[in-house]
Amino acid sequence: MAVETPAKPTIADKIYDKMFHNYVWKSIFRTGYPNTPRNQMLVVATNVFLHLHPTRIHRTHVKITHTYCLGGLSFFMFLGLTITGILLMFYYVPSVERAYLDMQNITTTVQFGQMMRNMHRWMAHAMVILVFMHMMRVFYTGAYKPPREFNWVVGVILLVLTFLLSFTGYLLPWDQLAFWAITVGTNIAGSAPVLGPKTRFWLLGGFEVGPDSLIRFYTLHVIGLPLLAAIFMAVHFWRIRRDGGLARPL
Amino acid sequence: MATAVVARPVARPQARARDEEVLVWPDLVFVEFIAALLFTITLFILSVVVNAPLLDQANADVTPNPSKAPWYLLNLQELLLHMNAAMAGIIIPTVWLIILGAFPYFDRDTEGQGAWFSTKNSVKLTAVAGTVGFVGTWALILWDSGKIAFFLNDWFNLSGGDSLRFLENVRSMQSQLPWPEWSREITYLPFNLRILDGTGSGGPTTFQNLDFPGWLVEQAIPIAVLLGLPCLMMYTMWRLGWITNRRDALIALFSGFVGAYGVLTMVGTAFRGQGQELVFPWELKVSEGIPGQEAPH
Repeated sequence: MAVETPAKPTIADKIYDKMFHNYVWKSIFRTGYPNTPRNQMLVVATNVFLHLHPTRIHRTHVKITHTYCLGGLSFFMFLGLTITGILLMFYYVPSVERAYLDMQNITTTVQFGQMMRNMHRWMAHAMVILVFMHMMRVFYTGAYKPPREFNWVVGVILLVLTFLLSFTGYLLPWDQLAFWAITVGTNIAGSAPVLGPKTRFWLLGGFEVGPDSLIRFYTLHVIGLPLLAAIFMAVHFWRIRRDGGLARPL
Repeated sequence: MATAVVARPVARPQARARDEEVLVWPDLVFVEFIAALLFTITLFILSVVVNAPLLDQANADVTPNPSKAPWYLLNLQELLLHMNAAMAGIIIPTVWLIILGAFPYFDRDTEGQGAWFSTKNSVKLTAVAGTVGFVGTWALILWDSGKIAFFLNDWFNLSGGDSLRFLENVRSMQSQLPWPEWSREITYLPFNLRILDGTGSGGPTTFQNLDFPGWLVEQAIPIAVLLGLPCLMMYTMWRLGWITNRRDALIALFSGFVGAYGVLTMVGTAFRGQGQELVFPWELKVSEGIPGQEAPH
């Protein structure tokens, strides 16, 4: 009687098995490769980064024209800005004596320095635009409606934080563009009735843009505002999940 | 054996919610990955091709003309040219952000969420309100910069003469009308109220007298325009039957804002030359105020 025997494992199968089915690999990645529905759900549910998402979502939400990925891309810009920002921080000292020299060094002598700086700047512009467009998307799809009222408010706060993050970064190159843009910008803040002059003084650490302003803007730019933004983003994303994912017709 | 058959409607199988769902991996993760990849590549290419600007070292003694805020604040800098600084720079953006944040508390209907332009007239409202915001803001800027009066005179030889000069722009209502002397200093408080005064620069910190023509031109007329024109637009749309619920009203308001905001940002960025004069983008020049090196006029 003929007996069907399984095909002998090829050399590739053996290598695959040795690489992905060993003790160490399994200690890092508990699920197998996500090529079965079970593993696909497990990988989303057990991975700390992916578990921002539910394991399943409604069909309409993967349609690109529903969201144009604008919110996700805004977050992606934030991540990219963090990475390029950290790289720039290695070379930049926020003092009036060194800031401009460091900028010149970054653009001329540091390997890929100009590239990092360009990426950081264009990503920052992209983030401002993307966040604004994300707001338009949410508005025109009526996604602010109950129960998502407060998440819209958190979004408005994040829009303001994005502007502030970009604004505080604008001073750091310490060139004419930076100096005068911040002078104009803080004059606008200073024009507020009653609280304006104090606000301006508090922002600049003096009556005009100077060394104290540079260190204030730097501190706000690299730690204060990103931390605040991260907290609000955490609330923003958490509430999307709690409110049942993206809005869709009832 | 007799069997009693009771007639009842055939139960249709309900589409289970689960059947409408897809797995996040791969369906969503794939879309996100592609989007992130596209943006990375685009920004990478942009960074290779275009360098971030780096001008001369900061110098408090050399003022560039024009000096401009970062581009996303140029809408406020543009407003600043037309009205009181505190209003343009602080009060209007703050009030607008509060209104914006309050949208969901005004429109609480859950109907029509999660779909683009869900109400019957929403596309029409968006297009018309956006256009009104766009054209209206341009018209107001052109009027307030005196260009409309200039073109009426230059192209059609129409001139109001001295008697209509006060209509040239908003400031000329202050300077060209025969305001009595007392109206320029109306005392509204019997004492000089000082709040947090002492820094010497910036916004108003003392309160006692009112310059009525100045107040009219810098605050009253801009407030009337900023509140009145959107209300007029929305009232008209309501009377026309385009706005039927709160969602429609918000769509009209928001679209008008996007149109106006876009124009203000664009004009501030590309149409404001030396001395914040209204120029064409290709006439934009920046001089650094160094004697002998200014751009030619």
